[in-house]
Amino acid sequence: MFHLLHGLYKRCTQKKEYFILILGLDNAGKTTLLEKAKTKFNPSYNSLNPQRITATVGLNIGKIDIGDVRLSFWDLGGQEELQALWDKYYSECHAIVYVVDASDRPRLDESKAAFASMIHNPHLDGIPLLLLANKQDVENPLRVNDVKSCLAEAGAPYIGRRECVALASSGLTGNGSDIPEINN
Amino acid sequence: MGGVVSYFKSFFGQKEIRILILGLDGAGKTTVLYRLQVGEVVTTIPTIGFNVETVTYKNNLKFQCWDLGGQASIRPYWRCYYANTDAIIYVVDSADRERMGISRQELVNMLEEEELRTAVIVVLANKQDLPQAMSVAEIHKALGLDALKNRTFQIFKVSALKGDGLEPVMEWLANAMQAAK
Repeated sequence: MFHLLHGLYKRCTQKKEYFILILGLDNAGKTTLLEKAKTKFNPSYNSLNPQRITATVGLNIGKIDIGDVRLSFWDLGGQEELQALWDKYYSECHAIVYVVDASDRPRLDESKAAFASMIHNPHLDGIPLLLLANKQDVENPLRVNDVKSCLAEAGAPYIGRRECVALASSGLTGNGSDIPEINN
Repeated sequence: MGGVVSYFKSFFGQKEIRILILGLDGAGKTTVLYRLQVGEVVTTIPTIGFNVETVTYKNNLKFQCWDLGGQASIRPYWRCYYANTDAIIYVVDSADRERMGISRQELVNMLEEEELRTAVIVVLANKQDLPQAMSVAEIHKALGLDALKNRTFQIFKVSALKGDGLEPVMEWLANAMQAAK
């Protein structure tokens, strides 16, 4: 009897959990964004100095509770060699955040190529997408519209089959890191 | 009384972090341990039992590192050391392709343990000085790390023999411990 009630209680108070992938080239600022978001939404979180964040080779987890929804972020390494591992996570994710380094014009084409191969994956059909033109704190960054049109071109027929938003952000100053809300 | 002392000690950042160094036999766990501690390569023999050393990082973090023997017959005893572990350094021999599957199985078994639920994982792709060493992506696949969807982990390419790549490991561990506090 107790177990039944306990189970019921658990069911009622259970949070909906959504998994969100954070992808993008290495040094786009994925981990820094995640750290910032964690700091912003978990008051008790002991945040890291952004300068101490090193290249991710593996996985960083971030859990953020908003209302009765729990967002679990998977922040993967973006180095070329590691991009081959992204697809292992596609089938279980509910949304994708794709981060572009707006201060790095020379690598925009590379980012575009990585984006194209991601968006063509059939597992990601209809999955909501958030494009971030990150590092808006630098001088003369790429604008959101430039990034958006560039990536839209790369993902031509596929990108339209889902909810998609492009935003400007800065992982350092925290502007735009309250974006997780648009998901689900 | 001890509680009071440790409370005040925490102001000075003197909390000891408990780390287990695990992996198959011949992966280089003992060499890693002594590289971290004295910065030298020591001549090792297969560990039966354990080696334990305290490694100080930047004068304010103390890592208590347990290096446990990795032979098949003594792997079942790893579990005796799991309690209160903050982090696991899992060492793999990157050149030992044949035994990657066994290494994977040991890792999976270990991570199912309730006592290690919150432990942070660092995978050391050791022996990168060997020509036939596997790349990070290959090791990720071979160890099935994509199954680890609910914990933070990081893979490092290192060569304990040459001393390459160990500094970032300590730094990352220090950061991860700070975040987990």
